[in-house]
Amino acid sequence: MIIEIEHLKKSYGEVKAVDDLSFKVREGEFFAFLGVNGAGKSTTINIINGTLKQDGGEVYVCGEDMSRRPERVQGQIGIVFQNSALDKRLSAYDNLKSRAALYGIFGAQFRERLAEITEMFALKDFLRRPLIKLSGGQRRRVDLARALFHRPKLLILDEPTTGLDPQTRAMVWNAVEDLRKREGLTVFLTTHYMEEAAAADYVVILDSGKKAAEGTPLELKNRYTGDFITLYHVREEDVKTLGLPYEKAGEAYRIEVKDTAAATELILRAPALFSDYEVVKGNMDAVFLNVTGKRLQEV
Amino acid sequence: MTEAKKFFALVRRNMKCYFKDKILFFVSLLTPLILLVLFATFLRAVYLDSFEGIFALFSFRPASQRPVEGLAGAWLLSSILAVCSVTVAVCSNAVMVSDRAEGTVRDLTVSPVGRVTLSLSYFAANYAVTLAVMLVVLALGFVYLAAVGWYLTVKSVFLILGDVFLNVLFGSLIAGVLESFISSQGGMSAVSTLVSSLYGFISGAYMPLSQFAEPVRNALGFLPGTYSVGILRTHFMGDYIAALTESGMSAEAGKALMDSFDGNLYAFGTQIPLWAMYLIVAGTCLLLLGAYAAIVALRRRKR
Repeated sequence: MIIEIEHLKKSYGEVKAVDDLSFKVREGEFFAFLGVNGAGKSTTINIINGTLKQDGGEVYVCGEDMSRRPERVQGQIGIVFQNSALDKRLSAYDNLKSRAALYGIFGAQFRERLAEITEMFALKDFLRRPLIKLSGGQRRRVDLARALFHRPKLLILDEPTTGLDPQTRAMVWNAVEDLRKREGLTVFLTTHYMEEAAAADYVVILDSGKKAAEGTPLELKNRYTGDFITLYHVREEDVKTLGLPYEKAGEAYRIEVKDTAAATELILRAPALFSDYEVVKGNMDAVFLNVTGKRLQEV
Repeated sequence: MTEAKKFFALVRRNMKCYFKDKILFFVSLLTPLILLVLFATFLRAVYLDSFEGIFALFSFRPASQRPVEGLAGAWLLSSILAVCSVTVAVCSNAVMVSDRAEGTVRDLTVSPVGRVTLSLSYFAANYAVTLAVMLVVLALGFVYLAAVGWYLTVKSVFLILGDVFLNVLFGSLIAGVLESFISSQGGMSAVSTLVSSLYGFISGAYMPLSQFAEPVRNALGFLPGTYSVGILRTHFMGDYIAALTESGMSAEAGKALMDSFDGNLYAFGTQIPLWAMYLIVAGTCLLLLGAYAAIVALRRRKR
């Protein structure tokens, strides 16, 4: 296990930011940590990266107790913050150089890694330009380069693709995927994009500081959502005869059923209605909504 | 060894951040620039008039204007150096505040670098930046004095250099302690405006303390800034007074000049000797250093 959290507690005055939270992250895993703003995600991340002390419980990262000597393990962690935390007036080069030094990377070792990372994130064209003059996507690439420069074992991505164009999002994910495959990087992700969470190996959903649900995306979908049947080219009065709640989706009708078996049963019961249709599993949005009663992208 | 290299990397980064912020750099230089403009427009004439008044009182007429012009310039230069050691330090320490305000500090604290190293790097960078600016101001001031009348001895030049190092330490520590409690740009602006506008007056740098009412003068005697200015005054004015004395000015007139322009400092009617001034400033530096260390330790524990 690269992260082990047992009965974690953290309060700010009367507010319980994290309340008896326990979960584990395996080495090399792509882990998604979901919750609305204020659910306790950032507090947990800050405790994991050693910048905040918990009130109770235990947090081990790479086998190290984070409440004691976090600096012993901080060199194994890379973080991409929701909002860039680099020096805006300095160039990408200066930022990388000053941060690399904090991990003991100097001289030839720095130049060698810089060449690799410049290639990996296509930084060459703007490496010497101040960050303030870069586009959002370019800045994000520098953030990622900084987080990965020291070859961490654990990469924490705090909503890394919020506000990015699809091309840059794809680039970010390709680079992360590549590193996961090549170097066995563990990725700890918080995101507002449910399609990104759907690709995770394991998901924990946090609600008001407590764990509301956990499992693989498939387990969560099976547990918390049904299947959706979309019927095309049918009349509303025919849909009504099925005796199930439905909703209009453009010119089609959408019916939620318990699972795929229930969908099959329905098709067999009224085959005339199923000339043009599709059956899909509920997505992570539906999981999140059913678990917390809240929509992630709205909050 | 590695921690030392991390420290120097952070100092370099902090200094770079300061010099790349053109507005911040300009604002830091605002106080010396304002003082220079004030001097050129009317302060010089006011000082020279005051000197003339004292000369007339002691029936002295200087054979050359060079030591008189030089004395006015030296007085101004001591004011600029004393005030700006604090105001420039307060401004250049903005890197520490903006790191907190803009969240950049998160990126530093998630790195494997000690909090003490990080805090010391802010202080060291601030000291280096302020010292660099002060040495440039000092060099320009020396050029001016050389043009209007150079009477400083080599010994005085070295003493003045030492005073600048001490004053910058004093200013950097004040900035470090004061700004440890600020985490917004608004707070930073308020503090630097307050310090820039007030410090020169309460330390007697803009106006000699001798011109204040006695109770005010005594009250200001409790502030260590008064003595950091006093040290510089003593070393800047001494050689000019000596030159004027050599050209026929009486010792009484010299003492009157020193008294009127804070070359000699008094508190509750007693003259404060130079060693006592050093002791007060150095002691305050030690106290501030202790306070800074306590703040760093407290923050470390609060994490």
